[in-house]
Amino acid sequence: MSRGRTSVLSGAAFVGNRSLWLASVVGGMTMTLVHIVRAMIPPRFDWREFMRNMYKVGVKSYLVIIVVACFTGAIMVVQSATYMSKIHANHMIGWGAGLTIFSELGPLMIGLIFSGRVGANNTAELGTMVVTEQVHALRSLAIDPVEYLVVPRFLSMVIMMTVLTVLGDLFAMIGGAITAQVMLGCDWREFLASLLDAQLLGEFVVGLCKACLFGFTIAVVSCYYGLSVRGGARGVGRAVNNAVVASAIGIFAVDYLATLLCVEFGWL
Amino acid sequence: MQRCGLAADWLPAWRRILTPTVSLEGIRHSFGGAPVLDGISFSVHPGEVLGIVGPGGCGKSLLLKIIAGLVRPQEGSVHVLGEDILALESLDMVHVRSKMGMLFQNYALFDFLTVGENAGFPLLQAPENKGKDKKKMVMGRVSELLKKLGLGGTERLYPNELSGGMRKRVGLARATIHEPELILYDDPSAGLDPVTSSKIFGLIDAIHDATASTEIIVSHDVDRMHAVCDRFLLLHKGNIHFEGTLKEAEEHRDDPVVHAFFFREQASSEPTGMASPPPVPQ
Repeated sequence: MSRGRTSVLSGAAFVGNRSLWLASVVGGMTMTLVHIVRAMIPPRFDWREFMRNMYKVGVKSYLVIIVVACFTGAIMVVQSATYMSKIHANHMIGWGAGLTIFSELGPLMIGLIFSGRVGANNTAELGTMVVTEQVHALRSLAIDPVEYLVVPRFLSMVIMMTVLTVLGDLFAMIGGAITAQVMLGCDWREFLASLLDAQLLGEFVVGLCKACLFGFTIAVVSCYYGLSVRGGARGVGRAVNNAVVASAIGIFAVDYLATLLCVEFGWL
Repeated sequence: MQRCGLAADWLPAWRRILTPTVSLEGIRHSFGGAPVLDGISFSVHPGEVLGIVGPGGCGKSLLLKIIAGLVRPQEGSVHVLGEDILALESLDMVHVRSKMGMLFQNYALFDFLTVGENAGFPLLQAPENKGKDKKKMVMGRVSELLKKLGLGGTERLYPNELSGGMRKRVGLARATIHEPELILYDDPSAGLDPVTSSKIFGLIDAIHDATASTEIIVSHDVDRMHAVCDRFLLLHKGNIHFEGTLKEAEEHRDDPVVHAFFFREQASSEPTGMASPPPVPQ
C-alpha cells in the first residue's frame, strides 16, 4: 500500500517536473522571440555584425548544402525510377522529383543540415560568450546583447536558410537530372522539360515559405539555448545537444502545421 | 526665479561632488539559500578609489556586478551616478552604463573582434561615431591609447593571439577609452606574474591621475592596492568587517582578519622568532 502510494507520488512528481521544465523552455523561447521582435522595432542592429553572420551562415554552408542537395535529388530519382520504368513513365521523373523536393524534401533536408551546422554553431558561440562573460561585458558597455548578437544572427539565419533552399533545390534537380541520365538513360532535356511542364511554381514558393519558417525556428531555438547556458564547458555541450534536438523537433512540427495549412487552403 | 551667475555655476558642481557616485544600502544576496552578501552598505564619492578585499567567495565580484547592474540583488538599494539603478528601465540603464567602464577578471574580450575593435568598442558603438571618417578618428585614438599601454602594433591581432597580461591591458583600454566617470576593476592582477601585476596597477594609477574618475578595485593583491586606493573595504562572512584607510587599519591591527589581509607581508618580513601572522578566520 505504502509502496504503491510512493510510486504514484513519484510518478506525479515526475510529470509535474517535466511539465514545469517544458513550460520554462517554451516560455524562455517565447521571451527570446519577444526580445528579438522588440529589438527590431525600429530596426537598430549592427550592420557589420549582420554581414559577418550572413557570410558565416551562408557562404560557409553552401558547399555542404550543395552536396546534400545533389544526393537528395539523386536518391529521389533512384527511388522513383524503379516504379516509373515499370509503368513506362520515365518522362515524368522530372515532375516527380520536382514535386517532392520543392515542397517537402528540399527544405526539410536543408533545414536539418542547417540546424546541425549553423544552429549548433550558434548555440556554442553564444554559450561560450555567456560563460566567458562576454555577454556581461556587452551589457556593462551599454550594449543590448539581443540587439547586438541575437538580431543579426536571427535575420541572417532566416534569410540564408531561404537562399540556401533555392540553391539546394537547384542542385537537387541537377543531381536528379544527372542520375536520370546515367541510370535510366533519360535525357536531361527530357527531365527538365517534364519539370517545367509540371508548373511547380506553387510548390516551390510553399517550400521557400517553409524554409523561412525553419530558419526562424532554428534561430529562436539556438539563440535561446545559447543565451541560457549555465555551468561552463559542460553547460555549453549540453546546450548544443538540446538545441539540435529541439530544432529537429521544431522543424518537423512546423513542417506538419505548414503542410496542413497549405492543404487546407489548397496551395498544394 | 533665476539664480545669480556664480550660484548657478557652482551649485550643480557642488551637488555632484557631494552626491556619492556609488551608494549601496542593505544589499543582501544568497545563492541556493547560502547568504553571500548579508546587508552590505557603503558609498563611494566622486574621484575616490575604493579597494575591496576579502577571502575568495566572499562576494567581492558579485558586489561589482551589482553596481554594474549585471546582477539584481535580492534585497537593498543601489544608487549609481545619481540613479536608482534597480528602478531603471533598460533604456535608462543604457544611459548610466555609458558613463561606466568595467574590467573583467577573465578579460571578457570579444573573440570575434580584433584588439583595436575591442579597445575602441565603446566609442565605435556610440551613435555619434557612425560613419567612415568618425571610425577612422576613433581608430586613431585607439592606436594612441594602445601605444600608451605598451600594445602598439597589435590593433589587427585577435585576443587569442595575445598573452594574459596583454589581454588584461586591452580590457583596460576598453574599460577606459570612453573616459567613464566610474570604473570597476574586477581582480585586475588575477593570474598575472608580479611584474605584470605591478604594471597593471601602475596603469590604473596613471588612468586615475589623468581622468580623476571614481574607481572600485576588487583584488587579493593588497600590497599593490596600497599605492592606488584611498580607502578599503574588507568583506568577511557576507559583511563589511572593516572600512577605512590604511592608517585606520593600523588601529585594528589586533583584529586577526584585518591583520591577515593588510599586514601579513610586513609580519612575515619581520625577523624570525616573531609571532607568525594569524590565519584568516573562516
